[in-house]
Amino acid sequence: MSENPRVPLLSLRQVSLRFGAVEALVGVDLDVHAHQVVALVGDNGAGKSTLAKVISGVLTPDSGLIEIDGEEQTIPSPSAAHALGIATVFQDLALCGNLDVTSNIFLGRELTDGALLDDGRMEQMARSILRDLTLRIPSVRTPLSELSAGQRQAVAIARTLIGSPRLVVLDEPTAALSVAQTAEVLTYIERLRDLGHGVILISHNMNDVRAVSDRIVVLRHGRNNGSFDADTASYESILAAITGATSQDNEMLKRMAALR
Amino acid sequence: MTAMAGLKDLFTRNLRQSGIFVAFVAIVGLFTILTDGVLLSPGNVTNIVLQYSYILILAIGMVIVIIGGHIDLSVGSVVALTGAVSAVVVIQNNGPWWLGVLAGLGVGFLVGIWQGFWVAYVGIPSFIVTLAGMLLFRGMTLQVLGNISLSPFPAEYQRIAGGFLNGFLGGEGIDVFTLVIGAIAVLGYAVSQYRTRLGRLKYQQVVESMPIFITKIVLVGLVGMAFTYQLARSRGLPIVLIILGVLVIAYTIVTTKTVFGRHVYAIGGNLSAAQLSGVKVKRVNFWIFVNMGMLAAVAGVVYSSRSNSAQPAAGNMFELDAIAACFIGGASTTGGVGRVTGAMVGGLIMAVMSNGMQLMGIDQSVQQMVKGLVLLLAVAFDIYNKRRAGAAR
Repeated sequence: MSENPRVPLLSLRQVSLRFGAVEALVGVDLDVHAHQVVALVGDNGAGKSTLAKVISGVLTPDSGLIEIDGEEQTIPSPSAAHALGIATVFQDLALCGNLDVTSNIFLGRELTDGALLDDGRMEQMARSILRDLTLRIPSVRTPLSELSAGQRQAVAIARTLIGSPRLVVLDEPTAALSVAQTAEVLTYIERLRDLGHGVILISHNMNDVRAVSDRIVVLRHGRNNGSFDADTASYESILAAITGATSQDNEMLKRMAALR
Repeated sequence: MTAMAGLKDLFTRNLRQSGIFVAFVAIVGLFTILTDGVLLSPGNVTNIVLQYSYILILAIGMVIVIIGGHIDLSVGSVVALTGAVSAVVVIQNNGPWWLGVLAGLGVGFLVGIWQGFWVAYVGIPSFIVTLAGMLLFRGMTLQVLGNISLSPFPAEYQRIAGGFLNGFLGGEGIDVFTLVIGAIAVLGYAVSQYRTRLGRLKYQQVVESMPIFITKIVLVGLVGMAFTYQLARSRGLPIVLIILGVLVIAYTIVTTKTVFGRHVYAIGGNLSAAQLSGVKVKRVNFWIFVNMGMLAAVAGVVYSSRSNSAQPAAGNMFELDAIAACFIGGASTTGGVGRVTGAMVGGLIMAVMSNGMQLMGIDQSVQQMVKGLVLLLAVAFDIYNKRRAGAAR
């Protein structure tokens, strides 16, 4: 990545989106740089997944500006997002249990040799991607249905690396995983950052967020409600931003902090 | 892998895939004994090929429909309609035989576009669309034929399903040409299996041990050559077998080696995942049905040629035989799983059972009951297997 490091990879300015009378996003700003993991946190219905869908081209905002490498862009479809170097792992895993690992990684973007599939080349690339992420998958020909939940999540993440994207959006990647599997996925996220990608991590789990992210952006009722440096911000201040609590609610914050 | 471990692996992990072949061999063996060997006599082997070719052709299209998570109940009516249109062109209007074939294929193409449109672009479940099609195309058949049957077809047209390639290379009572084609097919099978094996070894995949691999090739080769030997002793190589062979090879490649085939499996496996991954779901579904329409038309032409007539009731219940062939051959009722070769073996199991029971003079009613139970057991086996796989994880 030879771009000017001070120009963000992705920059959202005053993005708004409504569903009928519901204001899902109101004037949201967001910056993501290369080599950076930005966590997007907020309560249920705060607009996190909506924002992820705007970035990945599933939803189109009503107003606002999307800049990629400082240039204004529109993202009308998932394939347009892919062409711009944005890859997404959706909350409900978009994988086919009946296909093998290679087929899933390349689904919708198969490599061909003339009219036929180039299975050999796809397998080699799948192996090298899995190796880059240091993923432990028994074989790239294993059907997805035979893998554990954590391994499937890993395949979903590996999928995002086809066509070398620069920004990876992960929507609740650890929601359905055990503690050990969660740890593995967090390791993959760090690997993504080390490989020079920008990462947007959407999560409910504050422990996961604080473990891997560089910056924590809080959404509340579809609006920006604070942005924190992950290394220095206190747990209570982030929770306060998420819940919209004021200083009078200190008791509740302490209780919630104790619950984490 | 050692030979013993390989054998064990063959019968446990691959039971689902190899089980169907084992069942086929067992059924052939059973009926050979029950019919005192008549089942495998030269004349009868030829007869099975001729009698069930159109079901096998339908099963090729049907297995793709089923892998995609759909069903097609209309193929029997489409067989009747395409045969009827072809008969009107060739018999009523004295057109050349090839024009009749083209007309039939054209009708199949239009039928496929019609059903594909409703399934893919309007989003009506295929069960409903093809149930409507079953009535619609049966009605059209009656209209086209004016409620009467048309026959006979000219000799050239009859050759499609009843013709043989025989005597090109001579041979006293045993056609050499048929044997040569059979040998080429067996050799081709062995080479392609060996290349697959080498490819797997190159990617450090698990393969069967060499003795088992060789045994498998030799067994398949022996069965293949015995089959062609019986054909050669009878009337030679049936033209319809060549049509079937070309279709099986072509569609095995389409389902396993093309983007279209991969996307059909993806749609059947997880529709929303396929959509989010950028698979053009509507277009793939549309072409699945266009393809089914075309293959139903091929079956319609073959059937009208074999029965030497076009009848209003032609192709009745063919859809059920074709669907049964797919499920017996290992296709999954939920979509995403199935193979063309599996459907062919499933169709042959049905064919051998029907033929064997006919030879034994078993009543039609009992035949239907037996076939029904076999279908039920095949799907029960599939569900049992799935549950076991689910528990193992």
